[in-house]
Amino acid sequence: MTMKDPYESYTKKTHLIGRIATLITLCLLLGAPFVIGAYLGAMPDLGAAARGFISVGLVWTVSSVVEFLVYLPMLGSGGGYLAMITGNLINMKIPCAVNSRDLAGVKAGTKENEIVSTLSIAVSSLVTVLVLAAGVLLLQPLLPVLESPVLRPAFDQVVPALFGAMAFKYYRGHLKLALWPLLLMSALFILVPSLKSQTSIMILPSGALAILLAWFGWKKERAAG
Amino acid sequence: MNVMARLNSGTMYLICGGIIAFVAAVCVIFALRAWRAGKAIGMDTSVMLKVIRSSASFSVLPAVAILLGVIALSGALGVPWPWLRLSVIGALHYETQVAHGAAEQVGIELAGEAMTARAFSTIALLMSACIMWGMVLNLFFNKKYSSTLRRRGESKGPSFGDTAMTAMFIGLVSAYIGSYIGSLISGHARFDLAGDPVPLLCAAAAAVGMMIFTRLSKVKGLKWLEDFSLALAMLAGMAAAILFRILFPAAGSGAEAAAESARLMLGGVTL
Repeated sequence: MTMKDPYESYTKKTHLIGRIATLITLCLLLGAPFVIGAYLGAMPDLGAAARGFISVGLVWTVSSVVEFLVYLPMLGSGGGYLAMITGNLINMKIPCAVNSRDLAGVKAGTKENEIVSTLSIAVSSLVTVLVLAAGVLLLQPLLPVLESPVLRPAFDQVVPALFGAMAFKYYRGHLKLALWPLLLMSALFILVPSLKSQTSIMILPSGALAILLAWFGWKKERAAG
Repeated sequence: MNVMARLNSGTMYLICGGIIAFVAAVCVIFALRAWRAGKAIGMDTSVMLKVIRSSASFSVLPAVAILLGVIALSGALGVPWPWLRLSVIGALHYETQVAHGAAEQVGIELAGEAMTARAFSTIALLMSACIMWGMVLNLFFNKKYSSTLRRRGESKGPSFGDTAMTAMFIGLVSAYIGSYIGSLISGHARFDLAGDPVPLLCAAAAAVGMMIFTRLSKVKGLKWLEDFSLALAMLAGMAAAILFRILFPAAGSGAEAAAESARLMLGGVTL
């Protein structure tokens, strides 16, 4: 009789728990507007919701499919379930998981990366929940600080600060690889200024170009032995 | 009790807080299982602790920025619903956009005094429905997709997977840095040089911060800095943004922005 691999059993249970948690969260999120509607004495207008979905929801549906395909390899299976449930992928979960992978020195697609990514996203989500809960609880005393005109520019620039720090970390070792996507993106945003509201979509051509260049580099290295 | 008072009532906190508590419990379960599995496959616990420390310290600042999103939406939707939306599945850039689009569909402005019970429940449904697809895809395809990726990652031959992930992340970072460069050179029209330089300067300051903290973490006795270098570099970038904003006041900054925030808090303006 062969011993059951503990990691296999972990993975199987991760999918089971992930699916159950996802299903319950979906029911809670879609059910909440109806529960709140019952409390307020007015149920959602399903016709208006359907029209709204066609006008604003379809874009996000396409974006969700792309996010799933592109980000799941970075997040791993457990991290994927958690990140999709807790949200804030680009501005928090992806950089957090990628940074943790680097700190731990593990490679994408391995068992260790799966553990590191899940741990990292779970901790990041818990910290977000705690900060938001504390913030909501202390909203009145915190408001003057958070809304202070002096501090406001700092909080407005969290994403540029995050990507600036990450740029140093990733460009440093891969200058040649980073150069072309950066040039292409800069040129596109300069020539088509309206694109700046579509930055999250522009990740796709930028990422595709970087992967293509990395592929050529990788093949060349392999050929050279 | 008017609609806004009911949207900020104890019942609303209970409904939204209950869902958030469920999600927090899921996170705890995943964290504990990952920790135990890591130990079972022989991972060094000090490495896992490093991951926990770094992830926790990194997440605080973006979480505070997300809290500002809760505050911005609270004027029109009360506090509990935006609290739920931004704690579970939501994304900062998504919520305001969808809330605004949903309000248009129900024929109101996204503002406290315009809010009706029916408009709120419809907006809430739309905000949940539009962003649920990542979870739906996870339900049906996560297992198959991640098994395929794992097989490739664990194949005996040299794998391109790790390089591809790094390249994808470089592409992601480049899209954002490129947008800051583009916004500076073509702010409102092509080559008008009237854009906002603060995001690019802030990114540069954070990059310099990262360089300094990375170098310092190599110094004997300062190795602990490695776990916090990303959070500290972000803090440096954000602190520099305060200075840059004084040097380059944007339209709608300073007193105007403060007044705008105050109006948002009172729910008197369309987001």
